[in-house]
Amino acid sequence: MRFSALRSLVGRQTGRGAASSIFGVVVGVSSLVFFVALGLGVGRVVREKIFPTDATLVEVIPSALSLGPLSGKLEQATVDRLAALPHVAHAWRKMSVRVPAASVYDGDFFGQRLRVGVEIVAVGVDPGLVEADVAPGTFDDPGEGQPLPSVISSRLIELYDKTFAPTRGLPQLSPQMIQGFTFPVEFNRSFIVAAPAGPVIAARAQVVGVSDRGLLAGLMVPLASAQRLNRQAHVDADTFTAVVLHAGTPDAVPGLVAEVKAMGLRVDDKERRLAENTGAAIVVTTAALGLLSLLICVLAAFNIAHALSAQVRARERELAVMRAVGASKRDLVTLVLAEALALGLAGGVGGSAIAILGALVVDMLSAHVLPEFPFKPESYFLWPWWLPVTGVALGVVSAAIGAWWPARRAGAIDPARALAGQG
Amino acid sequence: MCSTRRSGFAILPTPMPPLIVIRALTRTFDDGAGPVPVLRGVDLEVRSGEFVALVGRSGSGKSTLLHVLGGLDSRFEGVVTVAGTSLAGLSDQALARFRNEQVGFVFQSFHLIARLTVGQNVALPASFSATGPPDVDARVQDALERVGLADKTARLPAQLSGGERQRVAIARALFARPKVLLCDEPTGNLDAATAEGIVAHFRALNAEGLTIVAVTHEARLREAASRVLTLQDGRVVA
Repeated sequence: MRFSALRSLVGRQTGRGAASSIFGVVVGVSSLVFFVALGLGVGRVVREKIFPTDATLVEVIPSALSLGPLSGKLEQATVDRLAALPHVAHAWRKMSVRVPAASVYDGDFFGQRLRVGVEIVAVGVDPGLVEADVAPGTFDDPGEGQPLPSVISSRLIELYDKTFAPTRGLPQLSPQMIQGFTFPVEFNRSFIVAAPAGPVIAARAQVVGVSDRGLLAGLMVPLASAQRLNRQAHVDADTFTAVVLHAGTPDAVPGLVAEVKAMGLRVDDKERRLAENTGAAIVVTTAALGLLSLLICVLAAFNIAHALSAQVRARERELAVMRAVGASKRDLVTLVLAEALALGLAGGVGGSAIAILGALVVDMLSAHVLPEFPFKPESYFLWPWWLPVTGVALGVVSAAIGAWWPARRAGAIDPARALAGQG
Repeated sequence: MCSTRRSGFAILPTPMPPLIVIRALTRTFDDGAGPVPVLRGVDLEVRSGEFVALVGRSGSGKSTLLHVLGGLDSRFEGVVTVAGTSLAGLSDQALARFRNEQVGFVFQSFHLIARLTVGQNVALPASFSATGPPDVDARVQDALERVGLADKTARLPAQLSGGERQRVAIARALFARPKVLLCDEPTGNLDAATAEGIVAHFRALNAEGLTIVAVTHEARLREAASRVLTLQDGRVVA
């Protein structure tokens, strides 16, 4: 049978059965495409906004036990050994300011009066770790008496904007607005714990950048500043709290982790594990919903099989006439399969379109009806090109599976018997 | 029916080979209780341009014989040759091509496809042609003109009378310009006046040289035929 003839005959084959057959395909495909896009979209929010872990970074921390020459501390010699490991592109040191710190702010805060006191955690880092988020030359230790260059977390701004600011009538902030903002910090002082012996070091911190790598509840300051403050507070200013290793590629990370552990050091992967666990939960939920959708498609295939079987029975004489005018068995199999594939294609395209439309509605309702909350995305959905294509393919495959038996049945029609009855 | 050839000084008539040759045709059905012979060693020849009426009681094997002749039923024993094509052992594809190109069927119940227009019904054989005739529209028009329905191309079968539907079925059978027209009770569902018109069409087609084999109980159709064959218990008895 020629393709043009097939297209012509299939184009004319529309009936009431088609609508019911196509409905199951549309439901299955639309739910699958919708839920997979939702899972991918939520996963992206988790990866990029809530737990923005960099797959090429490995944070090394000292061993909990003091064994041999490493003595449970990260000294410069250890840092040098780590930096010399294969696949390590950079090694950035971290050193906590090892005394408590607090800030009492009482003054104008972007047009509003603000009076607040907070405990602060400060960690010194090599400038390279945040160089992408600060202007060149702004993240160096300025010396005593000068404002302390500080990098804060982009997530902190998100939490402030979505929870703290609305409840207190404070202005919304953006990374651009907060640049240059200064506030007082007193090191060796705490509202919570007894401050250790030693002088209180009064300083001012100035925000010079906002980074995904920033501490969620603290400041990143230049490593040299942390060392200076620790020396002033008479605490350890020589060993490091952690070393961040930058592997060339994510593929190199497992090997690098193994080598770090072989050195008797540990890898701090709490946040990565949290991100992975959250991501895994999303994947499992998405997979469950996807399986449910696939089940709907399987049921749709059964529905198609049932509807087409009934249709083939009802059209037995018509198909027999086609045989009489020159159709082969294969022509009839092809015809019924093509009719089903046309239904599947329409169902797949319709299902994918409904899923996209549904996602647009959800995003619109979220934007206009739901209140603001931290990490609220503009869209909950991610649309890789292959997803609607998979939806269409699923529709076609469901229809093909459903049509297989009815198509064979059509091919097996005995035209002499079917045309012998004179109704 | 006959051609001539030159032989010496005389021009002698030479009979043309028969268009249909059947030798020792047997067809047996299995009704579950055992084999039931329907055709029992039928021998038959039909020459080009003949109009043969097949008559006989119900169950005598008329329709089965017609289906075998048209390549709709290939489970027979014996020799069946139609328009030079031996039907025994042909593949399904080859039989389909034979039906598409060599024979046209007309059934008692018309068997038009309800959702297709008259023109589309007539052109249906083109859908299953290996190459598809290049002049489908012209052939449709020609076939419909031959049955007097050229102005009803765009109608649906439901908009036609019974006689008009049968004429559309005849036009569909003529579309591929077949060698043989096979008709199974073509007037069985028509009133007398309409049947008369259909018989007239068959007469006209036969007069144009078309070979017709028709299963019928209709006296007018029998009278129109150039030969009447009677089947009884699966055999040609007269």
